[in-house]
Amino acid sequence: MDNLNVGRHISGQFNEDLERVINHVMHMGGLVEKQLSDALTSVSEADEDLAKKVLTADSQINMLEDSIDDECTRIIAKRQPAAGDLRLIMAIVKTIADLERIGDEAQKIAQVAMESFSSEQKDLLMNLDNLGRRVLETLQATLDAFTRMDYEAAIKTHKIDKKIDREYEALMRQLMTYMMEDPRSIPRVMSVIWSARALERIGDRCQNICEYIIYFVKGKVVRHTTAEDIQKL
Amino acid sequence: MISVTPMASANSAAKIDLNNLSPEQVALDVNNLNLYYGEKQALNNITMSIPKGQVTAFIGPSGCGKSTLLRCINRMNDLVEHCRIEGQINLHGENIYDRHVDVAALRRKVGMVFQRPNPFPKTIYENVVYGLRITGNNNRRSLDEAVEKALKSAALWEEVKDRLHDSALGLSGGQQQRLVIARAIAIEPEVLLLDEPTSALDPISTLTIEELINDLKKQFTVVIVTHNMQQAARVSDQTAFMYMGDLIEYSDTNTLFTTPAKKKTEDYITGRYG
Repeated sequence: MDNLNVGRHISGQFNEDLERVINHVMHMGGLVEKQLSDALTSVSEADEDLAKKVLTADSQINMLEDSIDDECTRIIAKRQPAAGDLRLIMAIVKTIADLERIGDEAQKIAQVAMESFSSEQKDLLMNLDNLGRRVLETLQATLDAFTRMDYEAAIKTHKIDKKIDREYEALMRQLMTYMMEDPRSIPRVMSVIWSARALERIGDRCQNICEYIIYFVKGKVVRHTTAEDIQKL
Repeated sequence: MISVTPMASANSAAKIDLNNLSPEQVALDVNNLNLYYGEKQALNNITMSIPKGQVTAFIGPSGCGKSTLLRCINRMNDLVEHCRIEGQINLHGENIYDRHVDVAALRRKVGMVFQRPNPFPKTIYENVVYGLRITGNNNRRSLDEAVEKALKSAALWEEVKDRLHDSALGLSGGQQQRLVIARAIAIEPEVLLLDEPTSALDPISTLTIEELINDLKKQFTVVIVTHNMQQAARVSDQTAFMYMGDLIEYSDTNTLFTTPAKKKTEDYITGRYG
């Protein structure tokens, strides 16, 4: 919690309120990370049971989002946070919306595990898994940066999304070729495409969370700013 | 094509650069102001420009010098024994601490309202015209017009128009404070100083006064000292944070309350130990 510095308020109750809400966000981040990891494992190991678990566990993430939203609303109403406290609450409210959507994307990925792939189609899943592992690492780095509100780490992680986009495009080209060569494979390949798309979206949402970290630390909104301009902050 | 305009807010006055104001934009210019109560220095080298037609708030913990600075603007500190002032405060380019300045005339240009409503034990009407009578205006018609105008500006006219000749002491606290504001603005000052004007009022009266402050800035330059940070955030265009006689940070209110530049400011407005 390097930059978080939520303690030291004269009101101990306010310190507790902020600490509680931050802990809940960390917990939600941990659940989302596990969901993505499980979804990827369920696909690579064709583990239908694990996929089913992913599909049902999402409701816990949704409930956490609702409860953190409530806590933030109460803090705004009762404490009228200003400056860093206000930016923290705003960053949390936006981050949990992105985390919840990452949870939804993990569900979409787990759906693929419910389908049966022929042995020739298995290498498609391997490429999907490669992209998935990179996205999972990015999510972990994002959550780590959020935990410490680490500006440098947020900028570094923010840049990874470009690599994810390039890998996603390469995978898409490969999948297109596969469909052209063997039209019978289209239904299976399509579900891989939806999963790849979900992973690419998770990359974007990690990038959003990095932008909220930058907003919290620097007080600057960088949502529509180029990477070069973010570097100059 | 959709055009996007910034959303209006309470402090949505055209953004100005406080470090680069043109002479026409400046109401008050404080230059290297030092103030001593005997041996003790209460204000340390304060330099700031207060823009015209806007609301400027001074915030800070008790004893930081915000009320002292406010009182310097109409030379109220002249009345304090062993008080010594160095530096300048220019009102339209003229130093108010110049030897030739007539203090009574200065206070007609710079009105002041205090923490507790202090109406005179006279009728509502006589309270409002008090300043005008002192300046020699006894013309009934012109006084009537001035009373209506001042009470309307102070958002009190509708409540008291049928009892102008009743005692002012029969009004509620919030009404009394608006009456005192009406009395201050009846003589049409250029600057209105408000020293914690709502700290003795209930929340609803406070909101009425805050709404009034927002209207008053169309005619006057308003400088307000407040202990209530949310109030400063709501009513002011600029905020100055003071601490132990120093001006720590002075910037537009939106910036100061979302991204203050100094750690001391951040600690104060977020309610942290200094």
